[in-house]
Amino acid sequence: MLPISGLLKDLRSLVDRGRVLGDVEDLLAYANDATHRQVIPAAVVIPESPAEVAAVLRYANEHRVPVVPRGAGSSLAGGATPSPGSIVLDLKRMNRIIEVDRKNLTAIVECGVVTQKFQETVESMGLFYPPDPQSMSVCTMGANVATRAGGPRGVKYGTTKDYVLGVEAVLPDGSVINYGGKSVKMSSGYDLARMFTGSEGTLGVITRVMVKLLTLPPCRRTMVAAFPELDPAAEAVSAIIAEGANPSCLEMLSQSSVMLIENYIPLGLPRDVEAFLLIEVDGHPAKVEEDCELITGVCRRHGVKEVRTARTEAEAERIWLARRALFPAVAHMAPNVLIEDATVPRSQVPAMVRAIGLIAQRNQVTIGVSGHVGDGNLHPGIMADKRNPELMERVDRAMAEIAREALRLSGTLSGEHGIGTIKAPFLEWEFGPEGVALMRRIKKAFDPNGIMNPGKIWPGSGGDAGV
Amino acid sequence: MLVYKIEDYVKEINRCLQCNFCLATCPVYKEDMVESSVARGRINLINAAMVEKTIPLSDRTRELINRCLLCTSCMQGCPSGIPVDDIIIAARHELFNKFGFGYVEKFVFRQVLNRRSVGTLATRAVSLLKKFNLFPGPVPPLASPPFEQRISGTVSPSGAVRARVAYFTGCGTNFLYPDTGEAVVKVLVENGFEVVIPPDQNCCGIPALAHGDQQAALEAIRGNAEIFASLDVDAVVTDCTSCGYMLKVKAAKVLPPGDPCRSQVSAVAGKVFEVTEYLAGLGLDKTPRPQSTRITYHVPCHRAWSRGLPEAPRNLVALVPGTELVEMRDPQGCCGAGGATFITHPGLSERIRSRKLDDILDTGAEIVMTQCPACRYYLTEGLKEKGGIRVVHPVSILAGSY
Ligand SMILES: Cc1cc2nc3c(=O)[nH]c(=O)nc-3n(C[C@H](O)[C@H](O)[C@H](O)COP(=O)(O)OP(=O)(O)OC[C@H]3O[C@@H](n4cnc5c(N)ncnc54)[C@H](O)[C@@H]3O)c2cc1C
Ligand code: SF4
Ligand code: SF4
Repeated sequence: MLPISGLLKDLRSLVDRGRVLGDVEDLLAYANDATHRQVIPAAVVIPESPAEVAAVLRYANEHRVPVVPRGAGSSLAGGATPSPGSIVLDLKRMNRIIEVDRKNLTAIVECGVVTQKFQETVESMGLFYPPDPQSMSVCTMGANVATRAGGPRGVKYGTTKDYVLGVEAVLPDGSVINYGGKSVKMSSGYDLARMFTGSEGTLGVITRVMVKLLTLPPCRRTMVAAFPELDPAAEAVSAIIAEGANPSCLEMLSQSSVMLIENYIPLGLPRDVEAFLLIEVDGHPAKVEEDCELITGVCRRHGVKEVRTARTEAEAERIWLARRALFPAVAHMAPNVLIEDATVPRSQVPAMVRAIGLIAQRNQVTIGVSGHVGDGNLHPGIMADKRNPELMERVDRAMAEIAREALRLSGTLSGEHGIGTIKAPFLEWEFGPEGVALMRRIKKAFDPNGIMNPGKIWPGSGGDAGV
Repeated sequence: MLVYKIEDYVKEINRCLQCNFCLATCPVYKEDMVESSVARGRINLINAAMVEKTIPLSDRTRELINRCLLCTSCMQGCPSGIPVDDIIIAARHELFNKFGFGYVEKFVFRQVLNRRSVGTLATRAVSLLKKFNLFPGPVPPLASPPFEQRISGTVSPSGAVRARVAYFTGCGTNFLYPDTGEAVVKVLVENGFEVVIPPDQNCCGIPALAHGDQQAALEAIRGNAEIFASLDVDAVVTDCTSCGYMLKVKAAKVLPPGDPCRSQVSAVAGKVFEVTEYLAGLGLDKTPRPQSTRITYHVPCHRAWSRGLPEAPRNLVALVPGTELVEMRDPQGCCGAGGATFITHPGLSERIRSRKLDDILDTGAEIVMTQCPACRYYLTEGLKEKGGIRVVHPVSILAGSY
């Protein structure tokens, strides 16, 4: 590896000096993502164009310097944690919305566009971009593609992966590829856009994305259902979907979660129940009406204690406020909270919830369960304290057990956060040695020197070009 | 004994989720576009330089910690409720202990703001500094005479007394904008409130605190608590959102545990209201005369200490027939003044302000109202060459209708 001063000097000849950071005081701000583990990189470069990205990659590739693409650094998987001696590419200045095409219902954005900003822009035009990671006030479109981000609306609308039509990406050798377009159908060659979708920065840098849009649903309705017991609530979830209601959000909150919310902002939700379902239905008014009735019926048949439909916008907003309050409420419970992302088939949600309870007991850790039950994506929140190594060991053990359990129930390690570093050790459990070996070969084809975001997705990826 | 010690904030620092949600709203980040200008970056820096001491207290550390407007925007969307401003203040205190103040800050915070009885002397001294070009940024012209020499003592309404209120006169009103003070007194009295304006009030202490001089802030707080706790009043009103933040929330935090002034400080805090919120809450007795103006509202940053604060001025001007309120694009976006940041970091502040000016101009309003004197000063300066849009306190609009 190059001595640092030489590296900075070289980078400053490629990109305007003001956009190359090398002081430790600045680098510290880039030393971690939302997973806390800190590694101070060698430099941060803030490119403004694909050409600058290409120049930096070409240089790094030649000198074998690791490169870590970065959006807002909000990864919950450790995907944006720098590697030792790496160049962090801060992509947030490439933030133009290039085009919104009403006729074809497509849009082209630069990778650094903030998701919420994009949503607001298209919504102001009567259009709709559904993927809704709860970090959307800061996270970036390029990173959403790189991690297949999603959110509560996943149950009806899918996640980012379902909206990517094409990408422009820079490969480690500095070449730029363009794949995809406005055609709804496409059957030419390997689907390179899909390759980059979920690549977590390990293949190259996504500089632009083309996404598909929908029209904004004219009507939206929110319901809340309180169940005395957890199991019938979970069964109601499967029934709601099996009977064709097609809700746009279907979230479950356990009793402990509701208690937390009530203590944090009292909303007058009943306390003597085990589970809550928060349901949103959207679409044409008549269909919405029909779905609400169907859902109410299903809930009744599953022994619901109370089910109500918000009559006004304000009432609906109050209910979703409760949902959003969960995270801050949980955050107040422990010095650190690790958010898990294991996902199982919808029908296995009750089994998974029970298993998590047992895992918590066995490892003597506190785990609050909430999540997007409608699509089987649970978010167990494990209470942790990074300054207590003994506790952290138990937390790690619990995480591994949750991962194994999700796979045992035919689920997946991650529904929307990605593998990053924190689940890299488990990847082989999901795909077997053959699956991981193929992934390695694919990476090698894109990144023969292993400079792109090494150490992510599987352990030691890219290390010493072992790839 | 001083309380804003970085050691006391280690727990809060460790509670930071590292989610980076604070990036969404930080006006400094919007300009700099580097993560070391975001609250999370600053927290990590403070942790490394002052808690774990893995890096030295460098000039760059100092610059990054001072490059914060203490606007609290980051805190309003923080899921973990991290007191970012307190952490920055504690860090600045640490820097103050190590490096002290520059002479300008020292002069402003120690002499001008905390010894108000020498107001006229201060005026002369500031103009001297200005003359010899010792002031790094734009210098506000001081009003002569200051408010405290215009109205003091008790002013009673002509009819029945609805309530008795003490008026905390901040430095902005006293030295720069006595017209705001006159409007506050007029509007309160016209609406049946008896107004008590005690002499020898101190600065609220927030500028000294913000720049790391806790001792000076403490002296100011104790002085004010003694004065206001001894008054027999129903409420203490202030026209300034930052003074309100200090009196209501921060003052109690600055006091060391067991301080003899503690009960006085909390007694006063319990009665503090921002004047428009107080008026909007209790309702106007006297109907304002019509006036035809197009108004836009710039919401000051220090607003989270009272829930109704951003709505109160809007509700009040709605009661003035003929006025039209045109909302600007981002009413809560920072104007860039950031207390005294516009003096210490003029380039940064100007860039933040230029967005705000565009938003204001797009409304076509004739008047911008805002409750913060620093915002008022800084926006007025910025608007000077843009067609003379006036910036006033919302009570002045009401006063114009009485
Ligand atoms: C409080 C909180 C709530 C969250 N809620 C959700 C949620 O509901 N759903 C969800 O899916 N996620 C959620 N996340 C996780 C995170 O926000 C998402 O993974 C998001 O997609 C990351 O975006 P970012 O811009 O912060 O990217 P970063 O964290 O900076 O990067 C994420 C990964 O993408 C890679 N990358 C970034 N940009 C590019 C690019 N242009 N080209 C190639 N690779 C790139 C990085 O190398 C890294 O591997 C949450 C996070 C937090 C802190
Ligand atoms: S928003 Fe709050 S918790 Fe999140 S990184 Fe910023 S300060 Fe920390
Ligand atoms: S107080 Fe304001 S300027 Fe300082 S970090 Fe927070 S948002 Fe940024």
